[in-house]
Amino acid sequence: MISFRNVKKSFGPKAVLKGVSFDVNDGEVFFIIGASGVGKSVLIKHLIGLLYPDDGEIFLDGEEVSRFDEERMYPVRKKCAMVFQHSTLFDSMSCVENVMLPLKKHKGMTDKEARDDALKRLKQVHMREFADRFPSELGDGMRKRVAIARALTLDPTYVLFDEPTTSLDPVSARRVDHLIRELSDTVGVTSIVVSHDLVSIFSIADRIVMLYQGQVKMLGTRDEFRSTPDPIIQQFINGRAEGPMET
Amino acid sequence: MAALAAASSASPPASPGFVHGLGGGLLETAQTAGGMTLLLVRVVSRLVRLQFDRQELMRNLYKMGVKSIPIVIVTSLFTGGIMVIQAAPIVKRYAAQGLLGWAAGFGTLREIGPLLTALMLSGRVGANNTAELGTMVVTEQIDALRALAIDPISFLVTPRVIAFVTTLFLATLYADALALFGAAYAGYGLLDVEPRVFYNGLTSGLLTLSDVGVGLVKSVVFGVVMSLASCHFGLTVQGGAPGVGRAVNATVVASAASIFILDYFVSFSL
Ligand SMILES: Nc1ncnc2c1ncn2[C@@H]1O[C@H](COP(=O)(O)OP(=O)(O)O)[C@@H](O)[C@H]1O
Ligand SMILES: [Mg+2]
Repeated sequence: MISFRNVKKSFGPKAVLKGVSFDVNDGEVFFIIGASGVGKSVLIKHLIGLLYPDDGEIFLDGEEVSRFDEERMYPVRKKCAMVFQHSTLFDSMSCVENVMLPLKKHKGMTDKEARDDALKRLKQVHMREFADRFPSELGDGMRKRVAIARALTLDPTYVLFDEPTTSLDPVSARRVDHLIRELSDTVGVTSIVVSHDLVSIFSIADRIVMLYQGQVKMLGTRDEFRSTPDPIIQQFINGRAEGPMET
Repeated sequence: MAALAAASSASPPASPGFVHGLGGGLLETAQTAGGMTLLLVRVVSRLVRLQFDRQELMRNLYKMGVKSIPIVIVTSLFTGGIMVIQAAPIVKRYAAQGLLGWAAGFGTLREIGPLLTALMLSGRVGANNTAELGTMVVTEQIDALRALAIDPISFLVTPRVIAFVTTLFLATLYADALALFGAAYAGYGLLDVEPRVFYNGLTSGLLTLSDVGVGLVKSVVFGVVMSLASCHFGLTVQGGAPGVGRAVNATVVASAASIFILDYFVSFSL
């Protein structure tokens, strides 16, 4: 279980998170939504020690992880994987080498074993035939799928997906949705998904939190979001240009 | 801007900009030195535990070392020749052909070999290293590495430091030999000094192995400082692609300055 408790974060004079609290239950597909720049990426980076809160606590399986040093963060990162917004594959390695790296580093596999395993994982995201290409030769959507395969190599309990379907074509996007849902239903993986993709949100989310102006605006199920009278939430989930929302 | 304006209005009119600039420069230098020292401690702690990536080490040895061979060959052959051209009038006037080997050897082994090789590699290898690490910072590849529970110091930095120091050491050795070879042939072509006479001048006892040693010690000192500087500036890039450009610039300037300063101190103490 993951808990954010009154998390605050500023960059210089700019307060991004102004006291964010919510819990994520085990095995659920939990969406974080909100306008660009509201601090969604910033928030999830706190969970694996890429950023530290100015104030507040973050619990992961009962441990307060937000003050861990780099060394103590490593076990946390092994059970809580992250797919970055901009895929962040290593430029100097081919796709398959990107996926092989954590397998060799943490599972003690030989080159051959790691390659076989990596190819299987690339097949899962329909990237098998691009295994030996370099990231710079691929489009955004393809890179993102390789990044997803790489993040899942250590069989994490928690996965943070930062906009996994942005820049994917509709077919690949629905496949990624399917993969996230399946990870939760069959393996019991807990997913935190940052997304603007309304189709994803309303097809696979168990619960949704909306951030607005540095705070939680609403936390609830898909149906609760659909039926709320709040004009700001209605504007956001219907994608309307006109309305009370300030950005 | 506001801070700058406030500082200059608060201080006396006599060149506040200069004092402000000097203070800022000193602060920045102290920050860089502190950052590099911290990095050194981290690298050494990985080194003693043998925690560094072998594959990354091989890749960097190839990229830094093998790929630098042509440039080292060209510069050192010509450097040897230049030393002879400069010595030619004196050698002719005093008919000191027998001392040509000693003169060229002394200058090359103790000073010119390590100095020029380090300067060549700071432009080629140091700048490249900073650009590569800096790009990884701005594209979040370093964070991605940490998110995969892989330590960037043992995976990226330590192999680069080892490869850089090894490359500079070997390149200096290599450049020493080539420069003497170039000098011998320039001596033969310009001054009619037989290569055998040149060789005798080199080995007659005025030059010892410690002269070679001094040059090689210098190359190791330069290598450690240059590799740490290039990694430090790369890892602390801020502000996207323009930040990478500024960091590369800083690496080249800091490397050149520290090469000369360290050269002075090593020459003085050895
Ligand atoms: N490392 C950083 N330094 C300074 N400001 C940052 C940093 N990371 C994010 N920000 C700022 O925090 C805000 C939230 O960013 P982000 O979390 O990326 O938004 P999003 O909700 O679109 O993911 C933005 O205004 C961004 O400029
Ligand atoms: Mg984001």
